[in-house]
Amino acid sequence: MAITEKTPLELGPGDSVRYAERPLGVFTRPQGGRGWRDWLSTVDHKRIGILYGASALFFFLVGGVEALLIRLQLAAPEGSVLSADVYNQVYTMHGVTMVFLFIMPLAAAFANYFIPLQIGARDVAFPRLNALSFWIWLSGAIFLNTSWIVGGGGADCGWFCYSTNSGVAFSPSHGVDFYAIGLQILGIASLVSSVNLIVTCLNMRAPGMTLMRMPVLTWMLLITQFLLLFALPVITVALFLLMFDRLFDAQFFNPDAGADPLLWQHLFWIFGHPEVYIIILPAFGVVSEVIPTFSRKPLFGYEFMVFSGIAIGFMGWGVWAHHMFVSGMGPISVAAFSLSTMFIAVPTGVKVLNWLATMWGGKLKFTVAMKFAVATVAMFTIGGLSGVTHSVAPADTQQTDTYYIVAHFHYVIFGGGVLGLFAGIYFWWPKIFGHFLNERIGNWHFWTILVGFNLTFGPMHILGLQGMSRRIDTYARGYGFEFWNMAATIGTLIIAAGVLLFIWNVAKSKRDAPHLPPPGPDPWDGRTLEWSIPSPVPAHNFDTVPQVHGRDEWWHTKYAENDEGKVVRVATVEEAAQTGEATGVHLPSPSFWPLAVAVGLPLIGYGLIFNLWLALIGALLTIASLYSWALEPVDDPDAAHDQHEDHSDDEAEATDPVAADDSTESDQP
Amino acid sequence: MVSTVAEMRTLTRRLISWTLVLMGASAATGCASDAELDTFAPQGPIARELHSRGVLPVFWIAAAVFVGITIAMVWLIWKNRVKTYDGDDEWPAQTHGHVPLEVGWTVGFLVTMIAVAGIMLWSLPTVDATETNTMAVTIDDRSVMWEPTVVVVGNQWWWEFRYYFSDQVDLAALRAHGDAKTLPPADIVTSGQMTIPTGEEVELIITSRDVIHSFWIPALNGKRDAVPNRFSPWKIEASDPGVYFGQCTEFCGLSHSRMRMQTVALSPADFQAWVDSTSTDAMEPTDPEALAGLEVFSGICTSCHLIEGVNDDVYEGADQASGAAPNLTHFASRSTFAGGIFNTYNADGSLNRTDLEAWLRDPGALKENYTVPGEQFRGMPDLDLSEQQIDDLLAYLSGLGAKPAGWMIEATQVE
Amino acid sequence: MSAEAVTADLDHTADDHGHEEHATTTGLSHTKLAMWVFLGSECLLFGGLISTYLLYKTRGNGRTLPTDVFDIPFTSVSSFVLLMSSLTMVLALSAVTRGEAEAGRTWLLATALLGGVFIGGQVYEFTAFVREGVAFTTNPASSAFFTLTGFHGVHVSLGIVMLMSLFVASLKGKLTQRNAETVEIVGLYWHFVDIVWIFIFTVIYLIPAD
Repeated sequence: MAITEKTPLELGPGDSVRYAERPLGVFTRPQGGRGWRDWLSTVDHKRIGILYGASALFFFLVGGVEALLIRLQLAAPEGSVLSADVYNQVYTMHGVTMVFLFIMPLAAAFANYFIPLQIGARDVAFPRLNALSFWIWLSGAIFLNTSWIVGGGGADCGWFCYSTNSGVAFSPSHGVDFYAIGLQILGIASLVSSVNLIVTCLNMRAPGMTLMRMPVLTWMLLITQFLLLFALPVITVALFLLMFDRLFDAQFFNPDAGADPLLWQHLFWIFGHPEVYIIILPAFGVVSEVIPTFSRKPLFGYEFMVFSGIAIGFMGWGVWAHHMFVSGMGPISVAAFSLSTMFIAVPTGVKVLNWLATMWGGKLKFTVAMKFAVATVAMFTIGGLSGVTHSVAPADTQQTDTYYIVAHFHYVIFGGGVLGLFAGIYFWWPKIFGHFLNERIGNWHFWTILVGFNLTFGPMHILGLQGMSRRIDTYARGYGFEFWNMAATIGTLIIAAGVLLFIWNVAKSKRDAPHLPPPGPDPWDGRTLEWSIPSPVPAHNFDTVPQVHGRDEWWHTKYAENDEGKVVRVATVEEAAQTGEATGVHLPSPSFWPLAVAVGLPLIGYGLIFNLWLALIGALLTIASLYSWALEPVDDPDAAHDQHEDHSDDEAEATDPVAADDSTESDQP
Repeated sequence: MVSTVAEMRTLTRRLISWTLVLMGASAATGCASDAELDTFAPQGPIARELHSRGVLPVFWIAAAVFVGITIAMVWLIWKNRVKTYDGDDEWPAQTHGHVPLEVGWTVGFLVTMIAVAGIMLWSLPTVDATETNTMAVTIDDRSVMWEPTVVVVGNQWWWEFRYYFSDQVDLAALRAHGDAKTLPPADIVTSGQMTIPTGEEVELIITSRDVIHSFWIPALNGKRDAVPNRFSPWKIEASDPGVYFGQCTEFCGLSHSRMRMQTVALSPADFQAWVDSTSTDAMEPTDPEALAGLEVFSGICTSCHLIEGVNDDVYEGADQASGAAPNLTHFASRSTFAGGIFNTYNADGSLNRTDLEAWLRDPGALKENYTVPGEQFRGMPDLDLSEQQIDDLLAYLSGLGAKPAGWMIEATQVE
Repeated sequence: MSAEAVTADLDHTADDHGHEEHATTTGLSHTKLAMWVFLGSECLLFGGLISTYLLYKTRGNGRTLPTDVFDIPFTSVSSFVLLMSSLTMVLALSAVTRGEAEAGRTWLLATALLGGVFIGGQVYEFTAFVREGVAFTTNPASSAFFTLTGFHGVHVSLGIVMLMSLFVASLKGKLTQRNAETVEIVGLYWHFVDIVWIFIFTVIYLIPAD
């Protein structure tokens, strides 16, 4: 921090004496390399991004298996694949897994990987905190899922976990404890990450990269981070109250003591509704990058896209109680939240029309990424419009808690979020891994997913309007639910086939890569800075930090418009792109301490549930690790330090032990 | 690498034909069957108004926007697609935006949403407003003016309906400071099946004794949550006599899916007859088997269930987390049991012994329940009854209350 | 651009423009900005806890409410102590900024001590309340009260840990004028926790329950 800011860290031969001591002497300071250990100690935002992405896709499979179980159970009336008890756990964990362990970390993967690249930075503001976010997230994710083994089953209260059903009296297994503590751990991870990325976005932009020149993906991710920043503490409060109730006999949700069960709903949805935008905005960002690239046009109405994103971010805070229209809040609240919900549709609609206007007059090349992006717009539109239909509060009294809602939010989250992120995966895969994903298999992947998705969730609109309740483990014959439930289950199997195609694509593309021409820095004729550097991205990102002159900086490096408004090429990619061959860029040294801190947290969690001594051990491990971290210099004195021209962007992560101490300790709410 | 347009066309064609096949099949099967919970089939003035004012207009608006955007998108894709950029150095005009256009469609959406807001404000009173209507009801040979009101109480996993005909119980006070676990004694307590008079707006006061449930009879109105410590107002009205189905829609724990309810609408005369027959104490058994059943009931079932005239003098609440269990005084007058999931009678009017016996034999197999060691039950536990005890109990229970009318038994059958 | 050229360029940058390289976009250091952002998040944490208390403050379930046992004079004194610690925090920062290490140390220690006194007062208050029949599990009001003030107490305690870390660093000679910003950032946190307390004290203690 201060110390480095005023006098740039210069580890001259005489200077390193200051750091000669090796704090606690537990770990040998890791050096950069390519073995598996280096992944455990990495502080490189790109590797952390890959870790996030890979883990998220793993949990996508976990949540997908849970979804398959749900659909198999509901394929026919009086299903007996799962008992009611197991079904309740499976559907709860499906929701929790898909939201917290799949789509949020997948968006975090994009945020980690591409925010620094798109703003022309060499890393995030706090590389070690970045590693900490990932490891805490992973430890939380594992913790949450161990409840299947040691907690007597998964949480069985739904992802919304309404009081009073979440109390010990009505959910006696430890599943809900794992939910309450696991989500807190995941919340710490997201909070640390959001602070880190906000500072990165605000403070580390390349010269000339003003806010209104930032790529839309970065913009949407920045808004997402602000939503996380403000939404997470609210769910943290709710989870603490729940945990205190369950573990320490507090009275927050005990109706016999006069508590109000709606308190939980308010706290949960004040978090839960911004959460929807946390999920969807990154996908909006991806779509806003992919469609212009494959339309050969700049994004239509950049300012409107940015401001509508901000508007959605703001208005997202005023609509939470539309989840509670039938809870008995009173007609005034209902009318107010109904109105606010309607008007959030305005900026969303503006976005959709801007995407269409971008395609207007463009040359649309339907790569797999483009197909996913356009499908995102189409499917999201359906989800958005079904949302408008139940923003009308009286109508919602017929639709809420039915499959109509299940259909609605899957069109938003799967149709908007997941398809959008798949567009991003196909688009940036060559940038990240240095080879394309196979377009032919990708095509099959796209069509199976799209058909399967619509066959699964389309019929749910009908089921909901026919009166099929949500969260039921079985339904009786004769209510007219049979046909469409079977259709939905078949759709799910098609989605599963699509996911398998994707996995096959990943494997096959990697195997084929050596025999195919490499993609080069700029395979799609891209527009933003990440395409100006080699694929895969070198560890130091940019040989020279770019000077930014306008939006779509990289495109303008390659092209210009002549007097007649015609686009002419002014430089080839080979001429303009960086080579990635710079040497001597000083990068932050890896560290094991983030991992060690993260390991302590689930121990505290297990300890709170089973034995407080274990919690003490976990707390000691975390605190000791934090102090060791604080005492560990950012830059390893043993690493080559004769090239000191740029110690990356970690300058703020204090070389001063005390300062590092601040930035980590205060991260715990 | 990139699929050819021809390939895409083939796929699209296949997709369309598949969709058509599916739609045909659905027309034949899915939509043809009548759906008892269909939200698009209102059967009373409240639900009808809600449907025509609140639901349909916004569906039409949404559909119009959807069609517009979809046509625009399909047209753009069809018109602007290119196979490849290879060898194509021609770039389209680089339009960055158009402020009047942006302002135009922002205002367009705003106007649309104002229309939707109008729909909302126009339809909101249909579900919520309460007009005070009264009907004459004779209870205990006394005629009272009754403001049709039913107190609806959610329990894991069944509904209780309480009727207060006399004005001695101040329902307004109850609503302000009530406690669902200690409600004042009611004239009629029933469960699983709520009986209302046709042509009357019936106010519901909805609450819960344990977790949050949601009361919903789609044909008569939308839903309202049953929240512990809250007494939420709601209303329903049926135009014609009939049985209207519902399902708890707020996840309420283990057997949430098996918590259903029915509303039986009777003509005012039939309603009076129902009041007459169900406001009395339980019928006393005469035949030996039923007497033996009463014995079994008194020995085992009374720890949870109440039968007026049998154990109301000693009853202190059920050994359940909610403190309540279905009141069985007029068990046989209801055509459904076990939280609205089984029919008490077969279509031919005979007692549905199959389900009744299976239920008494092992309720957990039909509707999962659990007990935390040392605590009260959630749901009806397995009572380990012998076949003889089951037969005796059925002989007793089937005599409790007047058998419902044939049309009602028939209407209860969902096939 | 060849690799050599890049390296040369980088060398050039480092030698001549090293300073500019480290200027941040906003001019604020990363750490300070991070603290501001983090405190923004903290506002909602306390907002949630305070709302919970306000909802529940009269829900006593027939037992003693926290408002029944408040000792306003005592809490006023401890609140005053905490407020004074903000003053000493300012003095600490100004001393460190001027390079007066010893004075800085003294004021840091004073701030930590005042914070410690406040925490001591809170511990005393809690035990007194429990003796008077308002424990954590008594009723929704008491659960909300202890959770809110407990969370605040944990925040003060973490602040004390930070202050003592600064104190130790100063003893070792590592806290100099050059990294006065570290003190400023800890100060930001400390003042925030103080302001939250002013809010809690007013809303929870001084505004009477109806």
